[in-house]
Amino acid sequence: MNAAKENLWKAFRGLVLVWIVGLAIGETLIAWGVNNWPLVGSVQARITADATTYLMWQAVALYVLVGGAIVYSAIRFRASSASDAVIPENQKRTWAPFVVTWLVLAIGINLANTIYPGMVGLEQLWAIQMDTKNPLVIDVTAQQWKWTFSYPKQGVTDVSQLVVPEGRTIDFVLRTKDVMHDFWVPAWGVKKDVIPNEVRHLFVTPTALGSTATNPMIRVQCSMICGNGHPLMRAPVKVVTAAKFKTWVASNSF
Amino acid sequence: MATNEMQAQALNETEGGKTSFAISMLFPLFRATLWGLTGYFAAAWITAALLGSVIVNPLPATVGYIVGLVGWLMGSGLWEGWIRRAFGGAEAPSYTGVERYFRFGPDSKSTAVRYVVFNVVAFFFAGLAAMAIRVELLTPDSTSWWMSEIHYNMTFGIHGLMMLLAVAASVIVGGVGYYLVPLMLGVRNVVFPKLLGLSWWLLPPAAFAVFMSPTIGGFQTGWWGYPPLAQNSGSGIVFYVLGAATLLTASVLGAINIAGTMVYMRAKGMSLGRVPIFVWGLFAAATILIVEAPATFTGALMDLSDMILGSHFYTGPLGHPLAYMDQFWFLFHPEVYVFALPAFAIWLEILPAAAKRPLFARNWAIAGLVGVSMLGAMLGVHHYFTAVSPARMPIFMTFTETVSIPTGFIYLSAIGTLWGGRLKINAAVLLVLMAMMNFLIGGLTGIFNADVPADLQLHNTYWVVAHFHYTILGAVIFTWIAALYWWFPKVTGRKINEFWGKFHAWWFFVFFNCTFFPMFIAGIDGMNRRVAIYLPYLHEINLFISISAFLLGAGFLIPLANLVYSWRRGEKAEPNPWGSRGLEWQMKSPTPYIPFPEGTEPEVVGPNDNYAAGSKEPFVWISAPSK
Repeated sequence: MNAAKENLWKAFRGLVLVWIVGLAIGETLIAWGVNNWPLVGSVQARITADATTYLMWQAVALYVLVGGAIVYSAIRFRASSASDAVIPENQKRTWAPFVVTWLVLAIGINLANTIYPGMVGLEQLWAIQMDTKNPLVIDVTAQQWKWTFSYPKQGVTDVSQLVVPEGRTIDFVLRTKDVMHDFWVPAWGVKKDVIPNEVRHLFVTPTALGSTATNPMIRVQCSMICGNGHPLMRAPVKVVTAAKFKTWVASNSF
Repeated sequence: MATNEMQAQALNETEGGKTSFAISMLFPLFRATLWGLTGYFAAAWITAALLGSVIVNPLPATVGYIVGLVGWLMGSGLWEGWIRRAFGGAEAPSYTGVERYFRFGPDSKSTAVRYVVFNVVAFFFAGLAAMAIRVELLTPDSTSWWMSEIHYNMTFGIHGLMMLLAVAASVIVGGVGYYLVPLMLGVRNVVFPKLLGLSWWLLPPAAFAVFMSPTIGGFQTGWWGYPPLAQNSGSGIVFYVLGAATLLTASVLGAINIAGTMVYMRAKGMSLGRVPIFVWGLFAAATILIVEAPATFTGALMDLSDMILGSHFYTGPLGHPLAYMDQFWFLFHPEVYVFALPAFAIWLEILPAAAKRPLFARNWAIAGLVGVSMLGAMLGVHHYFTAVSPARMPIFMTFTETVSIPTGFIYLSAIGTLWGGRLKINAAVLLVLMAMMNFLIGGLTGIFNADVPADLQLHNTYWVVAHFHYTILGAVIFTWIAALYWWFPKVTGRKINEFWGKFHAWWFFVFFNCTFFPMFIAGIDGMNRRVAIYLPYLHEINLFISISAFLLGAGFLIPLANLVYSWRRGEKAEPNPWGSRGLEWQMKSPTPYIPFPEGTEPEVVGPNDNYAAGSKEPFVWISAPSK
């Protein structure tokens, strides 16, 4: 039972190398992934996608730093065989510089994340809602298993297709006739539960022209389990220019 | 180890009954099944006849379940083992031989072994449900030759509820924890042994009822049971609520035992600073259950009451479904820490013995375990950010993100333990390392769901499905199998096959990541949860996920075969095969009925993770003072 002496600083230099290589590979992959991001079709989606991609850069960095340390130490500090009886010389129970660094980083990253993208994103979403003076109001009625849309100010009632103008903030007024549903257009990057006996609002400012036919991310999709028809509780969406929207309203209102 | 040799002589006399297995020992099982089924059908039929209803309706099914459960428990040996005596009847004999595995009794070790068997069976059937889900998702259309959307909804509900409450909630706490808690603390049994015995017997009827729920109409709410869908999508919700409540009761009975045993029954010299880290992890999990279970338990029963008694807590024009979400997630968010904290603690229990280093920053690790369990009570709202008012968003976002700080202490401790050690990587250690890597992904992707702006898009998509499978399957189940391998010699006196252990560890790791990593991408691409039908643009990625899932699922047969084969024919293990300083390894393997004989008891004289060359034994055996 002789003790094995290791040069731990030399080992740490190896870990730094692993970190550098790992970060380069990981962040390159994320850059590629973020480049291939699906359609971001509203101002709100820009905010939520920014939050998501920022957290991805950070998650990959943390994965490489922590996961790299685990894999590296498991390989670097492995026993020579199953019958290896050598006891390592390093029997330290704690080492303050490591613990303190870890604590400072953990608390720091948490605070930072709560501020950005957390609170910053929320404030931006709320600001759009507060600043909108004259939103386009659309009543959304959810029921098992279909969506109906009404445009009270335009006099368009009970249509099954959602047609909206580009660039104008919409106030979706969400109600359900039966169970809980969830109003979600994937391309618009936000969703809201529709809860029985309650009225909920979701503010969206579409920016990308298109329709469900051109990009399936532009569709209304129920995102809360609501029974047999849940997967098919979808509705087609069309984002059109303001002029075209006017024409559509004219031909659909009473 | 010297201690083992010194003990061997005396321990041989505590072995208990030496009788070999006989078919008549299964009598309590047969009787329990008979009384349970008779009770169920008799009570359901009588209720139905009185109400002019049929037995598959909600109220008859509820009455049937309760009577059937009582019948099953009485048949299992609860009557002569506990109840009869309370009425002044004769005391049951204590069973110390093989027969104790097949009936109700106060022995924590046989209860723990039964937990492992139950968990394996539940995991197998809930795993088959997962395979059925992936078959349905092979193609984007409704795949009507396989199952309807209704059956699909029932299947993922059963898969979710069983994997969470019949597998994850008790794999490490039950099978591993109830076996090791008394041994690690140096006591002969847990503090309330009969309650612990009862806890196992609650499981089989509850799980059976949930699996059988389609026979009375199934439930389509998934494992959430959200009203008002719960009340209008099939009578099977009755078995969902009662099954979940029964499984939860079993968990709470175990939690009381863990906390009570740790607080009141430690060996001489075992200060809280010397309590093994695994027991700390179980204690942190137990406090969660004791504090938070009542609110959720009540919520489930109020949900049931809306179904069978015509109350309107959550339904009808004045019902308040959001209140159910509050009650439900008050326990069921921290419930994931009930799964995860014991798994963390297993890593920190195994790594020092494998790396021959003391547990690094042990006090920070304990602060991490207890910190997660305390913070966990305050953050369930992140499961429904899309349903709550804006005022609650910043508060619960901050709390939820904060929980990563104590979780990080576990990694701090694990990395510090590995650093500069000499790690012997056997199958168990390999699975622990893989679990740590998987949980890292699961934890980091959880930040996205804690962050409200990101969560507004990712909530209820496949992103979430990937995230929680990384934490529960990738970390908890990997760690469970690691723990079964590591303590296998303790329970059976034999070793598992290392080659096949490592082989399937790599098999799992590869196909687990191939199955669940693409789900993150599917989620970002707009695939929502709980759909039998999806849009064709998501076909390719789902095909890849399904095929990986089949390979992952098939891989689980390897550890099953390994465990069963090694139990009968594995290589005989020495008393302390891993050279651990843990107290449980200082006792005889397999553990005798009474772990150490009358008149002796262990005294703790030092930390149990001191691996320095020539260090003192942490325990001495002393003669117990006569009472």
